[in-house]
Amino acid sequence: MTAAPVRYAPAIIAGRLVRIAARMRKRGGGSAVPGLVVNRIAPGFLASVLDGFAGGFVIVSGSSGKSTSTKMLVAILEAHGKSIFTNPSTANIAQGLTSALLERVNLAGRIDAEIAVLEMDEGHGAQIAPSLNPTVVLLTNVMTDQIDRFHDSEKVAAMLKRIAQRASKELIINADDAMLLELACDVDSTAELVRYGVSAEVLANNPRGLGYTREATERLSSDAGTVITHVDGRHATVTLAGTEWPISLPARGTHYAVDAAGALSAAASVLGSDFDPALATATLSAVAPVFGRGEIVTVRGKKIEFVLVQNPASFQLNVDSLQRGLDQVLVAVGSDVRDPSYFWPVDSSPLGSVVAVTGSKAHEIALQLSYQGVQIGSITPDLATALDAFLALPEPQTGIKTVIFTADSMRRTRAHLGLV
Amino acid sequence: MSSALTVLTVFPSAFNVNGDSENAAVLAQRARWSGHSVDVVRWQPGEPVPAAAPGIVVIGSTTDAALPSAIAELRPHRELLAGWIASGVPVLAIGTGWEILGASIELGGAAGTIAALGLVDGRAVAASARVSNDLVVSSAFGRLIGFENHARNWELASGSTPLGTVVYGRGNGATGTSEGLIQGSVIGTHLHGPVLAKNPSLADHLLGQVIEEYDARTVMSGRVDDIARAARNVIATRLELESE
Ligand SMILES: [Zn+2]
Repeated sequence: MTAAPVRYAPAIIAGRLVRIAARMRKRGGGSAVPGLVVNRIAPGFLASVLDGFAGGFVIVSGSSGKSTSTKMLVAILEAHGKSIFTNPSTANIAQGLTSALLERVNLAGRIDAEIAVLEMDEGHGAQIAPSLNPTVVLLTNVMTDQIDRFHDSEKVAAMLKRIAQRASKELIINADDAMLLELACDVDSTAELVRYGVSAEVLANNPRGLGYTREATERLSSDAGTVITHVDGRHATVTLAGTEWPISLPARGTHYAVDAAGALSAAASVLGSDFDPALATATLSAVAPVFGRGEIVTVRGKKIEFVLVQNPASFQLNVDSLQRGLDQVLVAVGSDVRDPSYFWPVDSSPLGSVVAVTGSKAHEIALQLSYQGVQIGSITPDLATALDAFLALPEPQTGIKTVIFTADSMRRTRAHLGLV
Repeated sequence: MSSALTVLTVFPSAFNVNGDSENAAVLAQRARWSGHSVDVVRWQPGEPVPAAAPGIVVIGSTTDAALPSAIAELRPHRELLAGWIASGVPVLAIGTGWEILGASIELGGAAGTIAALGLVDGRAVAASARVSNDLVVSSAFGRLIGFENHARNWELASGSTPLGTVVYGRGNGATGTSEGLIQGSVIGTHLHGPVLAKNPSLADHLLGQVIEEYDARTVMSGRVDDIARAARNVIATRLELESE
C-alpha cells in the first residue's frame, strides 16, 4: 500500500478542486460531483482507502434497519475507544461515498480513523462490492421493496449475497430471515457465520411476524448467537454469549431490538476480546433514535414523532408498534410510491383515525385507509399546507403528534420544517 | 337476500403481490355499507375447497415463479371452478390470476410455455418488454383507471369481448387497443391492485349481480367514492386526460 500517495494524490487534489468549484456554484450542493470525478480518473481510489483501516471495515446492508444498526454499532465501537469513519446513506453510494472519503482523506490516501462502518443500500452496495474487502458484513433482513423492482425479493437476496461474499472475517446475519439463512449457506468464503435473532416468546408477541419476506422456521438458541429474549415497549433483554443483559431501545418496537442484536453481534466481531458487553449494552441503551425511526423532534414548540415507512412490511410494523388511540396522526405518501397498490395488503386499521392525509398520493392512501375503516380528517395533497395546519392544531389528547411518511415526503418535510 | 354474501378470495397469501386480493375486502365493505352481511372466505393453498358455491370470486396476481405450482394446486379443482362460472358466479381475475384461467402462459426462457386451466378463451403470450405504468380503459362501466405491471400480452380468442379499449397504457398489447376480457361471468384485467376501490362502478356491477336490489348509494360510499374520483383525476390530469 506504499504506492497509494503516488497513485492517488493527483486524483485527491482534482476531487478537492471540483468540490470547491461545485460549492461555489451551488452552496451546499454538488456533493456527489467530486466523487464522480475521482472515480473517473482513479477507479481504485475507493477500494484502496477502504482497505486501509487497520481496525477493520464493516458494511451494513439489508432492506430495513440499516440506519439504526449502523448508528448503534458506531456508538458501541466509539465507547470502546475506537475512532470510526462512517457515512450518511446516500442515493448514489459510489459517488457519495467517494465524496465523503475525500472530505477526510490525506494526500497519502489515508483516513485518520481505525475502523470504517458503512451503511449501504443493497442495490448500490452490490454494484461496488466486487472491488471492496470488508472484514465484517452485517445483513439485517429482506423485505418486499419498491414496486418498480417487481417485488422480486430473490433479486434483493442476490444483491445481498454479492455483498456477503466479500466478508473476510465474519458474516453476520439475522437468523429469523429465511432468505438470509439460505444465502449465507451459499456464500463461498472463509468468513465465520455469526447469527442473531429473537426468541420464540418475542416472535409470539408479534402475531404478524417481523416483516421479512420469508421467516425462518426455527428460532436461534441463546448459545448459538445473540438473541433478543424479551421486548416490552422500549425495554428489552438480550442474551450475549449466554449472559442476559437489559437494554433500552431508541423507540417502541421489536424491530429496534433486532437492530440492537445485529449491532451487538457486529461490535463483538470487530472488537474480539476487547468487547465489553456491559459497556456495549449501556452505550446502546443511550443511543438516540434516528430521524424518522422513532426520534421525537420539537418543531414550532410542538413535539412530533416522525415515522418513516420504507415498504409495506415497515408500514405494518410501524402501525402495529404505535400507541393505540392517537388522535393526531398525519400520513404523507409522496411521488416515491409510483404505484400505491402494494400498500393495500397492510392492515392499517389499528390507526383508528388519521387527522390529515397529504402528499402527491394523498387520495390513494386515503382510499386504502378508508376501506380499512380508518376515519380520515382532511385530505390535502400539498405537503407544506398540510404540515402547517397539523402543527397549528392544539396538543393531542392521546400521545404526541405523529407523522407517518414515505422517503420522498420525509425529505420534503425536513426541508419545509428546516430540520437538517 | 336473507343469507350472507360470500366473497371468496383464492390463495390470498400468494396471490396478493399487488394487493389484488384486497378487492375482496372492497366488495365486502361496500356490501356492508349498503346493509348486507358478508363473509370473506380466504381460501389458502392446501386447504379444502369451500363447500358451498361463493357469491363472488376474486383471484389476484402472483409472481411468475409461483405460477406453475399455483396452477398445479388449482388443477384438481378445475371442474368445480368451471361449475361456478357456468352457474354465473361473478369472477374478477387480475394479472397472473387471470392468466392462469386462460389456455396457456408463455413464461419464456427455460420455463417455456405452460398449460393453464383453460376456463376462459385466449392465452398469455410473451411481450417484447415489461410495462409498469398507468392504465386507462374506456369500458361499459365507465372510464377505469389503475396501474398495470406485466411482461406478457393477452391474446384474445376470436370473437372474445374485451373489458374495454385502452385510452392510455398497453392493456392486452400486441395489435389492437383492447384491454381485459369479459367472458360469461368472468372479468379478467391487467388493472392490478385496488381496481375495485379506485373504480367503484366495477365493484357495484359485481355486487349488483349477486345482491337483489343492491343500492350503492350510502353515506360511506359517497365519501369514499369522492376520494376514489379524486385519485382517478390526479392520474388523469397527469396524463393530460379530461378529469371527471
Ligand atoms: Zn409552512
